[in-house]
Amino acid sequence: MTFTLAYALTGLFWLGAALLSLGLVRRAALWRQGRAAPVALGRLITIPKRYFVDLHHVVARDPFIAKAHVAVAGGAVAVLALAALNYGLMLYLPALDALMLLAALLMLAGAMLVRARRKAPPARLSKGAWNRLPKSLLLFSIGGALAALLALSGDAFGTAAQGLALLALAGLALGGAELALGIGLGGPMKHAVAGLLHLAFHPRQDRFSGDKRSTDLKPLDLAAKDYGVEKPSDFAWNRLLSFDACVQCGKCEAACPAYAAGQPLNPKKLIQDMVTGMAAGSGPAYAGNPHPGQAGKVRQGDPHQPIVGGLLDPETLWSCTTCRACVEECPMLIEHVDTVVSLRRHVTLTRGEVPGKGREALANLRDTDTVGGYPLAARYHWAIDLNVPVLLPGEHTDWLLMAGEGAFDMRYQRALRALVKVLKAAGLKVAVLGEVEPDCGDLARRLGDEATFQQLAGKMMDTLGRYRFNRIVTPDPHLFHCLKNEYPVLGGRYDVEHHSQVLADLLERGAVPLKADAAPLPATTYHDPCYLGRYNGETDAPRRVFKGIGIKVVEMERSGRKGRCCGWGGGASFTDIPGERRIPDMRMDDIRATGAEQVAVACPNCTAMLEGVVGPRPEVVELAELVAARLAV
Amino acid sequence: MRYPHLFSPITLNKLTLRNRIVSTAHAEVYAEPGGLPGERYIRYYEEKAKGGLGLAICGGSSPVSIDSPQSWWKSVNLSTDKIIDPLARLAEAMHRHGAKIMIQATHMGRRSSYYGEHWPHLVSPSGIREPVHRGNAKIIEPHEIKRIIGDFKQAARRIKASGLDGMEVSAAHQHLIDQFWSPRTNFRSDAYGGSLENRMRFGIEVFQAIREEVGADFCVGLRMCGDEFHEDGLTHDMLKDIAQAMSETGLIDYLSVVGSGGDTHNTLANCMPPMALPPEPFVHLAAGIKSVSKVPVMHAQSIRDPNQAERILSSGMVDMVGMTRAHIADPHLVIKIRDGKEDQIRQCVGANYCIDRQYFGQDVLCIQNAATSREATMPHTIEKAKHKRKVVVVGAGPAGLEAARVAKERGHDVVLFEKNDVVGGQIVLAAKAPQREQMAGIVRWLDMETQRLGVDRRLGTAADEAMILAEQPDIVVLATGGVPNSGMVPAWGVAEGLAVTGWDILSGKVEPKKNVLVYDAVSSHAGFGVADFLASRGSQVEIVTPDVKVGDDTGGTTFPIFYRRLYAQGMIPTPNYWMDKVYQEGDKLIAVLRNEYTEALEERAVDQVVIENGILPNDTLYWSLKERSKNLGVTDVHTLFASQPQPCLSEPLSGDEFLLFRVGDCISMHNIHGAIYDALRLVKDF
Repeated sequence: MTFTLAYALTGLFWLGAALLSLGLVRRAALWRQGRAAPVALGRLITIPKRYFVDLHHVVARDPFIAKAHVAVAGGAVAVLALAALNYGLMLYLPALDALMLLAALLMLAGAMLVRARRKAPPARLSKGAWNRLPKSLLLFSIGGALAALLALSGDAFGTAAQGLALLALAGLALGGAELALGIGLGGPMKHAVAGLLHLAFHPRQDRFSGDKRSTDLKPLDLAAKDYGVEKPSDFAWNRLLSFDACVQCGKCEAACPAYAAGQPLNPKKLIQDMVTGMAAGSGPAYAGNPHPGQAGKVRQGDPHQPIVGGLLDPETLWSCTTCRACVEECPMLIEHVDTVVSLRRHVTLTRGEVPGKGREALANLRDTDTVGGYPLAARYHWAIDLNVPVLLPGEHTDWLLMAGEGAFDMRYQRALRALVKVLKAAGLKVAVLGEVEPDCGDLARRLGDEATFQQLAGKMMDTLGRYRFNRIVTPDPHLFHCLKNEYPVLGGRYDVEHHSQVLADLLERGAVPLKADAAPLPATTYHDPCYLGRYNGETDAPRRVFKGIGIKVVEMERSGRKGRCCGWGGGASFTDIPGERRIPDMRMDDIRATGAEQVAVACPNCTAMLEGVVGPRPEVVELAELVAARLAV
Repeated sequence: MRYPHLFSPITLNKLTLRNRIVSTAHAEVYAEPGGLPGERYIRYYEEKAKGGLGLAICGGSSPVSIDSPQSWWKSVNLSTDKIIDPLARLAEAMHRHGAKIMIQATHMGRRSSYYGEHWPHLVSPSGIREPVHRGNAKIIEPHEIKRIIGDFKQAARRIKASGLDGMEVSAAHQHLIDQFWSPRTNFRSDAYGGSLENRMRFGIEVFQAIREEVGADFCVGLRMCGDEFHEDGLTHDMLKDIAQAMSETGLIDYLSVVGSGGDTHNTLANCMPPMALPPEPFVHLAAGIKSVSKVPVMHAQSIRDPNQAERILSSGMVDMVGMTRAHIADPHLVIKIRDGKEDQIRQCVGANYCIDRQYFGQDVLCIQNAATSREATMPHTIEKAKHKRKVVVVGAGPAGLEAARVAKERGHDVVLFEKNDVVGGQIVLAAKAPQREQMAGIVRWLDMETQRLGVDRRLGTAADEAMILAEQPDIVVLATGGVPNSGMVPAWGVAEGLAVTGWDILSGKVEPKKNVLVYDAVSSHAGFGVADFLASRGSQVEIVTPDVKVGDDTGGTTFPIFYRRLYAQGMIPTPNYWMDKVYQEGDKLIAVLRNEYTEALEERAVDQVVIENGILPNDTLYWSLKERSKNLGVTDVHTLFASQPQPCLSEPLSGDEFLLFRVGDCISMHNIHGAIYDALRLVKDF
């Protein structure tokens, strides 16, 4: 009897392995519709580290599901490994059966947790096939446990043994089918295989190495007529693979500001749309939340047909603020923003169909080197009475202050004036470029106009190359990010700091002369700029500044790396896709919820967005203004 | 970028201004004896520098010569080296805040009065008397021309030595230089008269001397008129020729253009256009001159609003805007524009209280901003108090609104009771008079500020003793205003309904009748306002007043506006008469008038008698609360006048104790400035 079960298990194992292999070949054929990508097969060996460190780092933020996943996945992998050894290789060792029993029980425990979560699932979770998964897991773990138990128990079950063995086999077969067929048919367990391969062949290999965050957009080779992604098959193959890793947990959806505002973008659905496109047809039934306002719309996907206008409405693309909240949250390390920008690039570069004021902004950038179409000479008008030297070729300065586009905004000029006041009071040798400072190209790049970005970046690097300075300081996180992270690959390397970093250092060194007795400071909260916090991981420096001037920050729930976007990023304030609410209004609600009287900001664009919130609200104060107000006169 | 033109720097010669907003030269009447700027003078300008303006030109009509008197209107005296140090202090104060500072220098010629200081014999090209100032003058002689040119040169030396950023020379409103230009005043046949070239000779010699002294790099400007509006005066075309010629000399870095001559009462009223005139009434003259000028052009005259200023600049009419009275009303104007707080600007309404005071020889004060020129004692920005108090203000006229505003700015809990449904008190009525509508702007700002700051305003609520005490106040401020003092002479028959009050007419309570006698015993804006209200609705109006002239107490730039309307509408001015009684005869009212000087009686048969006799305080609440209050309703005048906190404020209050104060007309009749100053000087220390 035992031997019969053992042989059956061996057969089942190899059947499953064969089905899985066939499925993988079938799925890989879909991935291989994509373009070539420079990743080596040898990357496979990185999977364990990336799984246990990088991926787990994200998953561990939700302790409940992390525990459940450790138990289920750990148990399942152990069951499978032991089954492969004991039954696949026909060793039939009782000791291995015992281990398998333990593994199956662990998995069972995990599966119970998964089932519990599914009882009252958060709205972000997809339903449909995903609701079936806990049952499959239960069946498999019970089947596995029963099989191991039967194998260990000899004849103890007597006549019941045969029936139990059939039950065990049925459980294993039904539960195992979820895995064996998942990859081939695109079921939920597709994520296990694709997810592991995605870790190895991740499009951003630099994400896993070094101390720097990999958040820079990669340049297009325009000379080679690479204009971004039009069709699913225009994605690199490992990008297609990455879409298959999605577990539809909806963490991205829950974090996405555009989704919350009711704009037609659900990042989870966006990734599933890409899966649909890659796999053709209308895809496996999607049972998650739609792009807001598009419930019930069925889209046809085709790997060789344009995505925008077919699978996706253009408004979905243009709703993205590139804030990276989705990427930050994704346990499968999928890069949503890259996907959006790749698609935008094709629309912008080949069709020029940028909505709202986006087209005007791009034309302004091309014609005037400014987003708003201003005379360059006006960029430093606000500094005329502050006696900031304008750097001349041949002269040298320690710090080069770059004001960026915010310098044209009269509200933000107040912050710039305050910054200059503080830097001067601290004795820093600061100069500006005056009317030769061009635009860094951030907006052009996020709007998909890679050509204009590369032109502007070239101009910026040429300009900076003519002047002598040690370091650059800018209060604009977008400018900061471009100079620091996106120029090096183009050949521009600068020692650049965000003003929060400079201010924090100055305060800690005691270089800023502060008033001795401070008037009571109003309760203050801090809004992290996405391009400083998530893009550059700098959430500490601004808080060091607050500490330095004696302000205790009342933190918002969404702060630091989990901060919520103001709504400006990625040119979203230019494309201005309608939703049900405005993102800055939601952010102001976050701010109000802290009870703070003022919100500190550290970005010209956040300043503009939050200042634009109408009605009674906390004051919007820039970091430098807070420091300047504390200066000893 | 909002206001791209307003905030675009401009460079005059080597002088770069941070924006295009200028406080142009005006007479301040603040200089210390000897014509030297003191602390008050410097702080008045420094406040504007703090407020962000680009350039201030101080010292309107500062004489360079000792035969151009300055003391009777406390002007700055540029004829002495003693001026250098005070001006240096002024320059330092302005530069500390990033603003530039220049001064206007002039010789007034005949435009002055001889009776003062040195009792000089005034000089003018042809010795023609100046009507407004009764400026009898002699014909200027060549040696005097030479001396005065030398005086300009000396003044230039002093200005440059003091560190000021530049010097403006006035040839506007008929000063000596434009007395030479004008065919109205120059009938000479020597090298300084006749052809335009000859008439311009003196001015050019002045600028040559100045340039010789200050060198090529120092900013020197010329202020000139764009049209004298006199048949025999300088026309716009002549002035364009002059402007072009002067700008082509290379001696001048900018032209500042104003409309209208100013040697008659009527033209003088145009110079600082009051609220009756449209916005920027003379910008076209400046634009005309800009069309021929080789140097940038500045213009001031009723530019009071940032959008208006931006529009004027963006349309290319001028290069710099003077917002001078706008700065008197709110020296922080520019920062508020820059910071997007336009709604918080205390906007000039063109009431001309400032300049009208100057023509009475009094220091310039703002009708609505009591802190202006009192910077040493009165705050433009109210600091928060250390201890929060409960303040109840009763009455939302100007005094009550200002009291509530200041108390709220201090951080106190403020309840403001007003029995009417709208705030503003008597100003609401004042704004009903024709061409006086902008008076409402004074209320608008106080209304918006009290709302913005979150004053608990109970409108339509006539507060009584119980309601006030129910608020458990620490301080009660009564600003209950007054009622018309029309019962002063019972024989006027107001009680019997024979005569009505100005309030009755302006509020619409009483319909105007056909033939109306307005008896104005106080000759302020109110009496003429109601007369004009009646006349513009078709009544035949006679204004009777015991004063020497109708509207006697309204000031040099206001009464001419009233008189334009008086004569245009056929009103009959009857000064020097008292009204003894009114009685009914048939369907007519008979007003009995008595001549002040002959005591002769006259009668008028009219349909309606309207009385304007000022205000009686509305003090019922005061008397009912006085004994209950801890300070017995006493305001200590020694500390009040010294701008110090009331002594009783420092004593602790126990239980239901409270302090009681009064401000404005509910004590005795003052004007709007008086009401607002009462409130600010008291409440700033709460």
